[in-house]
Amino acid sequence: MHYYLLKRFITALPTLWLLISLVFLLSRMLPGSFSSARILDDNAGFYSKANAESREKAYRDYLHKTSQDLPLFYFSINAAPEPDSLNLKYSESDRQQLKRLAWHYGSQNIVSEYFNNLQQVENQLSSNKKQRLQNELMVLHTSISSHDLVSSAQKVAEASSTTAASALEKKTIQLVKQQNPYSFMLPALHWHGLKNQYHQWLSQLLQGNFGYSYRNNRAVTEVLAEAIGNTWWLISISICLAFIIALELSLLMIQHPHSRWKKFTLSILFTLDSIPLFVLALLLLVLFASPFFLQLFPVYGMGFYGSEPNNIFYAIANQAPFMVLPIVCLVLSVLPYLTNQIYRALSDAAQANYTKTARAKGLSFRKIVRTHILRNALLPIITLLSDMLPSLAAGAIIVETIFAIPGIGSMAITAVQSRDYPVIVAIVLVIAIFKVLSNLLADFCYALADPRIRYSTS
Amino acid sequence: MRKINLLVYSLALFLCFCSKPQRQLDEVRVRLTKEPETLNPVSYSDAEGLQVINLLFQSLLVVDLASDELKPALVVDLPVVERVDSFTYFNYEIREEATWANGSPVTAADVAFTLKVLKAPLVNNEKLKPQVEFISDIVVDQNNNRKFKLKCEGFMPEMELLTGDFFILPAYLFDQERLLEPITVASLEENTTTLENNQRIKAFAEHFNSSDFSRNKELLQGSGGYILDSWVSGQYLTLTKKQDWWGNKTNTDYLSANPQRISFQIIPDNTTALMALRNRQLDVLENIPAAEFQQLKQDETFLQDYALYTPSSYEFVYVGLNSRLPKLADKHTRQAIAHLLDVDNMIKVSQQSYATPTVGPVPPTIKEFYNTSIQPYSYNVQQAKELLQTAGWENRTDGWYKKINGQQEKLTLTVSYKAGNTVFENAALIFQQSAAEAGIPVILQAQEGSLFTLKSKSHNFEMFFRSLSGNPFVFNFKPLFHTSFASQGGFNYTGFGNAESDAILDEVITTQDQAQKAQLLRRLQEILLDEATFLSLYYQQERLAISKRFGNIKTSGINPNYDVSAFTLKE
Amino acid sequence: MNAWLKDIHTIWQTKFGFRAALIYLLSFIVISLLLPFLPLPYQPNVLDLEHIFQPPFNNFTTSTSVSHWLGTDGLGRDVFSNMLYGGRTALFISLPVMVISTIIGITLGLNAGYYGDKMLKISRASVIVLFIALACSLYYGLHIPLQAIEVKLELQIVALCYIMLGLLLMFLFLLLHPLLKKFMVFQKVFALPLDTIIIRLTEVLTSIPRLIFILALASFVPPSITLLSGILVLTYWTGTARLARAEVFRLKEILYVEAGVSLGFKDRRLLWKHVLPNMLSPIVVAFTFGLASLMTLESTLSFLGIGVPTTLVSWGRTISGIRSNTSAWWLVVFPGAFLGVTVLALQVFSYYILSSFKEKKQM
Repeated sequence: MHYYLLKRFITALPTLWLLISLVFLLSRMLPGSFSSARILDDNAGFYSKANAESREKAYRDYLHKTSQDLPLFYFSINAAPEPDSLNLKYSESDRQQLKRLAWHYGSQNIVSEYFNNLQQVENQLSSNKKQRLQNELMVLHTSISSHDLVSSAQKVAEASSTTAASALEKKTIQLVKQQNPYSFMLPALHWHGLKNQYHQWLSQLLQGNFGYSYRNNRAVTEVLAEAIGNTWWLISISICLAFIIALELSLLMIQHPHSRWKKFTLSILFTLDSIPLFVLALLLLVLFASPFFLQLFPVYGMGFYGSEPNNIFYAIANQAPFMVLPIVCLVLSVLPYLTNQIYRALSDAAQANYTKTARAKGLSFRKIVRTHILRNALLPIITLLSDMLPSLAAGAIIVETIFAIPGIGSMAITAVQSRDYPVIVAIVLVIAIFKVLSNLLADFCYALADPRIRYSTS
Repeated sequence: MRKINLLVYSLALFLCFCSKPQRQLDEVRVRLTKEPETLNPVSYSDAEGLQVINLLFQSLLVVDLASDELKPALVVDLPVVERVDSFTYFNYEIREEATWANGSPVTAADVAFTLKVLKAPLVNNEKLKPQVEFISDIVVDQNNNRKFKLKCEGFMPEMELLTGDFFILPAYLFDQERLLEPITVASLEENTTTLENNQRIKAFAEHFNSSDFSRNKELLQGSGGYILDSWVSGQYLTLTKKQDWWGNKTNTDYLSANPQRISFQIIPDNTTALMALRNRQLDVLENIPAAEFQQLKQDETFLQDYALYTPSSYEFVYVGLNSRLPKLADKHTRQAIAHLLDVDNMIKVSQQSYATPTVGPVPPTIKEFYNTSIQPYSYNVQQAKELLQTAGWENRTDGWYKKINGQQEKLTLTVSYKAGNTVFENAALIFQQSAAEAGIPVILQAQEGSLFTLKSKSHNFEMFFRSLSGNPFVFNFKPLFHTSFASQGGFNYTGFGNAESDAILDEVITTQDQAQKAQLLRRLQEILLDEATFLSLYYQQERLAISKRFGNIKTSGINPNYDVSAFTLKE
Repeated sequence: MNAWLKDIHTIWQTKFGFRAALIYLLSFIVISLLLPFLPLPYQPNVLDLEHIFQPPFNNFTTSTSVSHWLGTDGLGRDVFSNMLYGGRTALFISLPVMVISTIIGITLGLNAGYYGDKMLKISRASVIVLFIALACSLYYGLHIPLQAIEVKLELQIVALCYIMLGLLLMFLFLLLHPLLKKFMVFQKVFALPLDTIIIRLTEVLTSIPRLIFILALASFVPPSITLLSGILVLTYWTGTARLARAEVFRLKEILYVEAGVSLGFKDRRLLWKHVLPNMLSPIVVAFTFGLASLMTLESTLSFLGIGVPTTLVSWGRTISGIRSNTSAWWLVVFPGAFLGVTVLALQVFSYYILSSFKEKKQM
């Protein structure tokens, strides 16, 4: 038995690994990151708080500090003229220009020499001259047209007449002359070894370190632990309530199979099933929490707190009205499916032979339903509940966002919006693990309830 | 069925519990829209965090919200400025009575420590580091450990403000092992790779970057009037007043710690916050949605308990046109576009008329410098068409055409703005519609923040919507409008500027004569309006409600719009 | 196929609900297609700044403007036309996504079921050649063209890439493959565990809720409909693949019992002939369910403002207007009801098909 569960868990591990690696690599591969938005993106006001270069430098320092400047994976394949990892000593726009030039003119070495020369020239220029040569310098930084590049380089060389400037001119001419435009047709493989982001991240993860949130530098585990509580309560209360209501409804329907009431309930549930969750949540909001109709419940959040919430009853009483609408919302969203499945399981059991025997013995139908049928239908219900959990988690995202409950779901949305990748990756991992565990738990309960499974697997 | 009934009853019973909780009298409740990410006085990242840190820590200078003026906080007086060669020295003296939370005095050594933290590599200081880069060293007076000089390279008028703009950190608490003591501020200018291998800096950075410094109330104790009492994630943050705080003993009215307790309630949504306000559970609410603010204005019972304020903020929305592009190079084309900006409707849709149109970047509230003799462009499609014709565009059935560099080009515009910002998005949509009326097809491009910045910096845009925040103290528009900042990476994204404007910008920062300064700034506004590359649209107005229980509110257009530490309970 | 249509005909004649749902769905599709030609008083993106947050059924008709039947949103956009165009958007996104993912699902599922883990015998030479071909296709077919566009190379380069790719593939399959076959080492044959690979893949994709998966992916890419559709296709094929695979397995067993065919079909066409008709009903059901869930998902995402550009007319966009004004109930009720009714019609439709399919199975 234990062996079986262990085996199941181990077979789930590659799937988890694949999933989480995929999310990690994708998150790092695509442009635009959290830190660039934070450090570089600063509006100038009536005065400048810092010049652009020192911001760039701070940004590059940050990347270096958090080892985000390391290569992503063990190896990389790119076009031959492209430098293997675009050097972080250049700013992002310069890096793009470097890449453009490399692709157009086909020589990695000449391009980087050209850029070094350009930087030298710029450092030597006085600010006065720099301003006069502004347009030429901009062409050298952005253009790819060979004619523009050469003429701008010549102008710069004429105006500044330093050795660096003439070197720049020569380099530019060399760059344009030695064109090798199709060299990118050949791929180049670069081996980065163990010093790469993926390796570092994975080895940290295996030691139980999920990384640190970009936003407040707190350990992701800590942030998750804080948020998971609210989501946990929301989901578990909802699922318990939904389960009880669904069970009662289906028991009633089993006992009165031909009543008009059953038909009515079924059609209501069917309609309910077709209302998307976010519309349902908003409808509840509009109906019960807005001044337009009935303002019964507070709208959003988890309550506001005084200085005296030491009393647990007070805390619960304060929080309860805020939880009512979200819970109702989640319950209504899973109720149709749950009732349908439980009803089906129950009616299958009602068809079975033992029910007929029990009836033959003269037991009342009500009693049979509550004892025999329910017990036997419990097995499929267990699997059902474990299947429900992930979809509830998805529901929780929507509900938490709309009702502004600080939980995993709303955290996922804010993390997505601010590109806090460590948190996103961790949330994906936690939910995936949760699903694996709930499957295992269902298997375990199943095996406990049905000895046949135990024999067949071990 | 019975079970369900039971459930309903118990739920109803539950709800009865929620009566209004009792309020402590001497407590101010302020709403925060989101939880501060961190309270670290160096790496704070949001306005909420800054608002709280302002009550815990102090900087050398402070803005007095009652008069919107810069005043000395931790120091005796505003700095004495000395200029020697290419260096500028700012002489400060720390107040004798200023103490840390443990009673020890604040000294120049603490300022030196702070500068080290701000400049050291490996420490999470990326946001502030560039701002203090111009401070190259600190010279502490040999005889008086409260006197010091900040040595800065070059001179800019905003330097005075910036030298006093960072929180001073307690060395005794933040660096108990005295790791940074042997390191000098000047040495931190050196090569970063050697510094990064410095074991002391490494150890300190690891210590300081830990999450303790963003949340721990034992560590986050500064010279301010309050200490952090509790912080429950996602719910609230409370601060309590220090016993016998030194600031209250100075005879300044802008250094104050009056309310016994300040609690910040984290309520993300406006509607809940408004309900809490209506239930008298909040004392201060900012950023009230314009539509709701209108309603509150009508509410008699509400107005008995609360007062509403609309201070003019120093944040304005503007449109930038890339004058480097051949199709926008002609002034008349840009003026035509300016006539297509329906500012009144933009204000109506996103600000519900709580905003003031402006001719230029100088706030209309600063009457001294604002140019009243000129008017912003009116929304006028006909005039726009005429201007387009003046600029040489030919009106054909499918749009406007002009021969540029020997090729027929059609006039189209791509408007970019930061994705997720509804104010800009609405403004862009309104512009799109009016431009369509004039026959100019407009494509909207919502760009993700960092991409938007990158594209602006590399001048890869046609037209954008942005906002800028200013202040009433320093008017150095040089980075925004001077041609020397128009190269790649500079803040002059639009490429504005000519010889006259450059001369004005250089003169504004050096002149000491207020009348001359006013004249120069007025002329600058005229040029800006005429050139129409940088079109300032409107200055927003803040909308806030504050309980009438409190006096001494000091509302202001500068964030956080009120001085909560000054609130006094009315008898 | 004919039998299937006959079934539908019988349901059509007997069940009112089915008829109503089908008529609704057909008219929904027709209206969506004809929408640009209908004489609507307002286009969905027209801003009527004189009338913002106009409540519905508020009849005013002045000389300059016609009344907004279902009110307007915060920018004065007409809710009625936004509702209709929102349906069009939902259809235009979800239908192609569902068609493509169903095709992918059927292909993968059938092959997984047909070959299982042991039957796809493949020589080492083929594996090597296939691997190189795949790498080449990725490099010359995807990487280089994308990069070339990014660094602003001429478009001829892209064409050149594809010519190059064609030549390379020809070389690989016509020259290298026969050449390798000459060596003993490369002739050795082994079984490719296709079934396991595909099952693992579906496991990866279904191991977390789809919404979270899409949220995580959407956070990395700029909002665009094509990318979003790509992500959706990526996650929606799994259900169909499982169905198809199960059906092949079932059929294998029956054939095995009936004809005593030992494992391994001689004629692949036999399989398609038997499997596809049997699968039609469940696949139609899966298709309609998928369509309903895609429509919901599209509105949810544009409500959350993730992955969908804000300039796209959509039900979710109109509904999200409630956030800036909680008393504007009409922004939720009308588009929400339209969405709900559409989903309901799809569910009713698949419900009847499913029940007829079950009846047949039991017989």
